[in-house]
Amino acid sequence: MSQSTGWKEKLADKMPPELAREIDIFETQIELRKQGKIDERVFAETRLRRGVYGQRYDNGQRHDGLKVQKLKLPSGGLTKGPETVWDAPGMLRIKIPFGGLNAEQMEVLADLSEEYADGISHVTTRQDIQYHFVHIDDTPSLMRRLAAVGITTREACGNVVRNVTACSLAGVCHDETFDVTPYAMACSKFLLGHPDTQDFGRKFKVAFSGCGQHPCGLTSMHDMGAIARKKIIDGVERRGFEFYIGGGLGAVPYRAQLFEEFLPEEELLPTAQAIARVYARLGEKRNRARARIKFLIANLGIDEFRKLVLEERQKLTPDSRWTDFLARVHEPTESPLKAGTSLNGSERPEGFGAWYATNVYHQKQPGYVVATVTLPMGDITADQFRDLAQVARRFVKDTSRTTVEQNIVLRWVSEADLPQLYGELKAIGLGEPNAGTIVDVTACPGTDTCKLGIASSRGLARELRSRLSEKSFEMDAAVKDLRIKVSGCFNSCGQHHIADLGFYGISRNINGYTVPHFQVLLGGKFKDNAGAYGLPVAAVPSKRIPEVVTRVTDRYLKGREKGESFQEFIARLGKKEVKAMLEDLTRVPPHNVDPSYYSDWGDPREFTLNDMGVGECAGEVVSQTQFSLAASERELFEAQIYFDAGALKKALLTAYHAMIQAAQGLVKTQNYDISNDEEAILKEFRERFCDTQVFYDKFQGSNFADYLFRARENLNTEDAVAKEFALRRLQEAQLFIDAAHSCYNKLQAQNATTRAAAVNLPAAGPA
Amino acid sequence: MDLQKINVKFFAADTNGVRLEDFIQIFNSWVQASDGAYYDIADYSHVQAGPGTLVVAHEANISIDCAGSRLGFLYNRKQPLAGTNQEKLATIFKATLENCRKLEEEPGLDGKLRFLGGEALVVINDRLLAPNSEETFVAVRPEIELLARRLYGSAEYTLERDPDARKRFNVFLRTSVSLDTRALLKNLGDA
Repeated sequence: MSQSTGWKEKLADKMPPELAREIDIFETQIELRKQGKIDERVFAETRLRRGVYGQRYDNGQRHDGLKVQKLKLPSGGLTKGPETVWDAPGMLRIKIPFGGLNAEQMEVLADLSEEYADGISHVTTRQDIQYHFVHIDDTPSLMRRLAAVGITTREACGNVVRNVTACSLAGVCHDETFDVTPYAMACSKFLLGHPDTQDFGRKFKVAFSGCGQHPCGLTSMHDMGAIARKKIIDGVERRGFEFYIGGGLGAVPYRAQLFEEFLPEEELLPTAQAIARVYARLGEKRNRARARIKFLIANLGIDEFRKLVLEERQKLTPDSRWTDFLARVHEPTESPLKAGTSLNGSERPEGFGAWYATNVYHQKQPGYVVATVTLPMGDITADQFRDLAQVARRFVKDTSRTTVEQNIVLRWVSEADLPQLYGELKAIGLGEPNAGTIVDVTACPGTDTCKLGIASSRGLARELRSRLSEKSFEMDAAVKDLRIKVSGCFNSCGQHHIADLGFYGISRNINGYTVPHFQVLLGGKFKDNAGAYGLPVAAVPSKRIPEVVTRVTDRYLKGREKGESFQEFIARLGKKEVKAMLEDLTRVPPHNVDPSYYSDWGDPREFTLNDMGVGECAGEVVSQTQFSLAASERELFEAQIYFDAGALKKALLTAYHAMIQAAQGLVKTQNYDISNDEEAILKEFRERFCDTQVFYDKFQGSNFADYLFRARENLNTEDAVAKEFALRRLQEAQLFIDAAHSCYNKLQAQNATTRAAAVNLPAAGPA
Repeated sequence: MDLQKINVKFFAADTNGVRLEDFIQIFNSWVQASDGAYYDIADYSHVQAGPGTLVVAHEANISIDCAGSRLGFLYNRKQPLAGTNQEKLATIFKATLENCRKLEEEPGLDGKLRFLGGEALVVINDRLLAPNSEETFVAVRPEIELLARRLYGSAEYTLERDPDARKRFNVFLRTSVSLDTRALLKNLGDA
């Protein structure tokens, strides 16, 4: 299936070497998993950290409305994670830091979506791009083609720092303090693959915002949020950030807490690093439901957490990357293609007025505007994406960005070009108005593709879009400005908490039938960087949600006081009154009266929860030692390939490095900060594991450890290595790595016993 | 050139009264009868000129496709096929036409959907294997011409390629002779 070797050769000169090497390693890991040489949990987290995610039905079965069908997946028993069949289609998440895209990247994204996915690129609520229905064997080719245009999927999923997001208006917004783009870019680069961000119990999301009042950055709902601020210090204006920590949506939403009113710009990256170290060290690892940093901060209290971070900050070894980027933050990050000219009396195509009213933002730079390309539910076809790249080339430089509302913006458009731009967008089916209005419903993938989805968020969003767009021309501005966001479950990927009208999928049992419902949340605040979370008011059957929207918005129009916002209106009505208003909509007719209630939007199957799987949002908790051991296996595999090719000296060197990796992994169980220095690893391994006989076999004694030290001596042998000699050394390397696994397992078992004993200790009585 | 990842699309003659949403119900019944061969249905009716309504499977996806703003049935072979290029093309065309005929006979559509037998689009969904170039066309042309002979007999036909290098390799195969899906299947079978 895969032709990755071909792309590998073809793109060799275009890929950054480090990215190319990472993808080679991932391809080897795929091969090793096929050979059963990597544990499925370790492989699952490995692939997640490469953006390769599971998808609904990847456990190999699907309810077809009548029965559960076992899907014909030819890979037999091979899995890519617990209960995840190898051949089952999956999702690939592609990181787009701060949403920045150039035309060449758009074209490649378009090409890949039609060659490897279903022809659709999906913009997520965190400015990523996702493909669905991707085969894992194709992912190395995909990654190489992305790498060739400077895009990585690394750490798009898994328990790591996810895509760093930022305002899509950064640099052009009237209300920003300064352009956060260079800071978001620096943060993204610095934290990507950083050793201190590799041992989290859960994911970690970062967002930047240029101001406090607008919603584009959504800093309040992020694990780490930075809002641009300036301060006069000693008579000099300094840049910095109002710095927040511990926000998050999910089942238990938390608003981020203020960590520092003014964090100087030079402290941004070291503080982020210190936070990562504290989170890795103290964050929950076993209970996935309480592993996000918000729970750690809630447990410790913000003051104690801040104290720990500041202490950690002092211990950090200075890193030039903390401040190198600051030399360039005052330089413009973008420039226009054309001179900024105001919109004059030129002819305007039909539909232009409506589009102009909702999809155009006037930049702070006179004569320039940001044009929003409305993507229904974040979806864009391959043809559209390619054509959009051409449109972007004609009107702007590489100044396009994805947005958290699942759209794409073209920045630095000369205002005079708008009629022509609109005409061209319309011609490719991208001229839809209503960006950022109640019609522009945001939705996560839900039951369409997500393993955790309960109800069809996209089905509902499609229905609402369709109904609302018909009414949009006559809609009152007060209603039109509201936001609707839909999630397929309580995990809130659709960000339902921060919408005026939010919905998340649930189910209810009615007379023995499972009926799709949505929990209705009202009064969330998108503005003020996700300023408030909505209140759940009622569980309503999925098919009656459009009526909820009509009833609530009508009531708001009729009952609002002058200047009263939707949030204020809902607060004034009170939960009891709102609930009463929706009461009749919560009723479900019997199945024989109206069976339509018993299936979901856009899905004729009778509703069932049987298709839900185990989500991969939480990733697998895999220790750094397990990763090191897996890496050592992979290096030994490469050594074997060198051996087979007759490169015996190289095989010996690679096998030795594999053993060093394994030894380093074991040392990490006692000294997490062990460096990559070979001498240091050998010294600590000898002292901590050999001298103490922790790395000791009942029958072989210290033989396995001796293989490592002997391998080091063998590196100095003459260039001409006998094949037999090399083969023996490779076998010894395998034995050493096997012994390292056994040693780690033994340590884990001992830790478990110690923990269990601690739990069972009798409580200390009075003296 | 070893042709793989062959896609074939036949276009609808008339789209009056045909709604993309209707195919969800139809494809669902196909899924129910597929014994696990079809994995899932994806609904892209909300995007213009997109993949339409899609059935995902391991070997090949099938869809009521709207790309190019032309409704049609698309067969998208994903897994490699054995045999000569001619055998592979014939296999894909047969699979496509059989599905087209099945849709034409679908009770839920009340005979509203008919496919144009005189026009087909062939796409090689692999830019590495088959870049959209004149060189690829020269290599593939004899194979498509051979297939055209099997499909259309002695009738005149044309091959036309959209040369946009950004697109996948594609060839429109057209004849002015009126042929329906049954006739084409018969011709392929008899060859």
